[in-house]
Amino acid sequence: MNRLHTQPSNRRRTNNGIEVPLLAQWLVVFFMLGLLGLFFVYLKNQQHALGEQTRLVEQKITELRAHHDALNAKVTALTSRGALQRRLDEKYLDLIPITETAIARTNPTSNSSEEKAMRTASFP
Amino acid sequence: MQKKFTSAALGQRIGLVCSFVALIFTFFAFRLVNLQVGGHEKFSHLAAEKHGVKQPIAAVRGNIFDRHGEILAVNVPVRTVYADGTHIKDPLALAHVAAPFLGLPEKELALKLASKRPYVVIRSGISELDATAMMRALEESKLSGLYLQPGSERSYPNGKMLSHVLGFVDHSGHGIDGIERTFDKELAGRDGYRHIEHDRKGLEIVLYRGQEEPVINGTNIYLTIDMGLQAILEKQLDSAMETYKPAGATAILVDPKTGEILAMGSRPNYDPNHYSEATPEELRNRAVTDMYEPGSVFKVVAASGAINEGIVTENSTIFCEHGSFLYGGKILHDAHGDYFGDLSVRDVLVHSSNIGAAKIAMKMGDTKYYEYVRRFGFGEKTNIPLPGEISGLVNPPARWDKLTITRMAMGHAIAATPIQVVMEIACIANDGKLMVPQLIHHRDQEKEKMEPIVRREIISSKVAEIINGALIDVVARGTAQHAKMDGYSVAGKTGTAQKINTHGGYLEGRYIVSFAGYFPAEKPRIAGLVVIDDARIGSIANFGGLVAAPIFSKIGEASARYLDLLPSSTGASVSKENASSPSSSIPKVEAP
Repeated sequence: MNRLHTQPSNRRRTNNGIEVPLLAQWLVVFFMLGLLGLFFVYLKNQQHALGEQTRLVEQKITELRAHHDALNAKVTALTSRGALQRRLDEKYLDLIPITETAIARTNPTSNSSEEKAMRTASFP
Repeated sequence: MQKKFTSAALGQRIGLVCSFVALIFTFFAFRLVNLQVGGHEKFSHLAAEKHGVKQPIAAVRGNIFDRHGEILAVNVPVRTVYADGTHIKDPLALAHVAAPFLGLPEKELALKLASKRPYVVIRSGISELDATAMMRALEESKLSGLYLQPGSERSYPNGKMLSHVLGFVDHSGHGIDGIERTFDKELAGRDGYRHIEHDRKGLEIVLYRGQEEPVINGTNIYLTIDMGLQAILEKQLDSAMETYKPAGATAILVDPKTGEILAMGSRPNYDPNHYSEATPEELRNRAVTDMYEPGSVFKVVAASGAINEGIVTENSTIFCEHGSFLYGGKILHDAHGDYFGDLSVRDVLVHSSNIGAAKIAMKMGDTKYYEYVRRFGFGEKTNIPLPGEISGLVNPPARWDKLTITRMAMGHAIAATPIQVVMEIACIANDGKLMVPQLIHHRDQEKEKMEPIVRREIISSKVAEIINGALIDVVARGTAQHAKMDGYSVAGKTGTAQKINTHGGYLEGRYIVSFAGYFPAEKPRIAGLVVIDDARIGSIANFGGLVAAPIFSKIGEASARYLDLLPSSTGASVSKENASSPSSSIPKVEAP
């Protein structure tokens, strides 16, 4: 009897050696670790993509700045004293004298006898 | 058999396998840690060597502006176009599209593009706008193989104007002359760098950016120069060069109260945009690198010193030997064929008597006179921030002979730079205070402008006022009547000195003439100097009062109008109508 009683219980222990809750716990742990790994890879990819975007934006900024500097230099060259003087000489530009009555003066006038030129408007 | 599969045996086997697997994993884990931690330095270095580069980040050179913010020196971005032969499939098509932008003949370009080398420089110095237009055209034509390298060039939009002050930079961006050289470190800034890694295509992997040294861009510098005044001065210098065909000419305008240089120019000059074409003669900034015998302008030193020391007063009588003074075995003459008897100290300046000035200096004695010469800043650098400044030449009394003091009093036996002479006259206009000449108005970060620096107080304000009165008379009724300006009183002194022969003695009939003065005399706003070196004009008319003074007058009048200065109320020297001089009219120019 004893034997009959003990044998089935031993067999049950042998057949059900895997403990499901423990396995489930481990599975969850591995799943979480896997998920973490995937998330890490996803973040890395995102970083790479953002880095690439950063590089392109930086390149664009550099190009725009260079373009801006080039246009600035062109404006400077076109408005330099030498360039304006040339334009004046070529009659492309002309200076129109301001009539005496259109100037409000705080100082009395003094014209140059040699050049017959008026004094300028007040300089800050 | 059943026994073999008992739980204990099975457990043992599983344990054995697990231990084995654990051992393997432990080994791998250990190796991994060993590689990642222990070998970190070694492997990161190896990786950096293979994929990483230290990418330099060039600092942008600071711009130079005048006192009102007008741009004087600016950076222009340019590109170097290079070809990668390994990427070029159709050199002819590529040459057809790119040639118009590069300014090269199509055939010549196609020949260059046919090379299979990975780096062939096609052309440097291509403007940013042309380069980007070319790349757009290539993109539209779906052609590749041409690439751009960034760079920049220094540009001086005003060309020759102010070239000696600005200087220039060489092809590598280093300041070689002028302000560009003196403030090279500030203007250049500091290049930065970044450790980066490349992918297989050679593109940067931003994620792996390493250590970074931030770039510090150059400082923008604002000069004390006023380009309005500079344009006036340069126009008159050009006109003088055309009229008198001299070997050289120099003019300087200074604010006497602050020592700020408002305008400075020399002839011959050069275009800093094409500095390689300039001759050494054109590159010289005569205002600071050349010394000359100042002539009668120097008489101010003897008169100021003697009055300041109480040795004479402005009304003390000096016997001028009727134009011929025998001293030390040599005869000293007065210029212009004048035969003065008794003259007051004031009139010695007004009539520019050589004998009078010599006697005043002799009354001071060698040591005292030498002390005043040095106190006025002669024989030492003014410390203007321009390269190549010389200190002039003033011998100490120990090296003088008996005649030296008589010659030095009239501006001979001494050599001074134009900047020293203009600071001397500015000192009289500034109540006897000698200022340090300033060229920097402010820098970008600084909100307030540079403070004026008083070098030393040489004479009392009372003595300066006396000398000021005498200098007004020099223009009103003395040797400098052609320096008069309509509406403004002018004070100043002419100078005429024979040119020194490099082989000894003087060159016959060749003179350096000058005028140093300031206006409005009652409240000086601008002090200036005009020096004309060896004007091609007859000796009889080659005097400071006839050549340099009228130029000063023209510069002064235009400057006064530009600055809208309040006209002088004093009547004596404010009209040109009564101007007369030993040789009354402006001399004609000799044929070159």
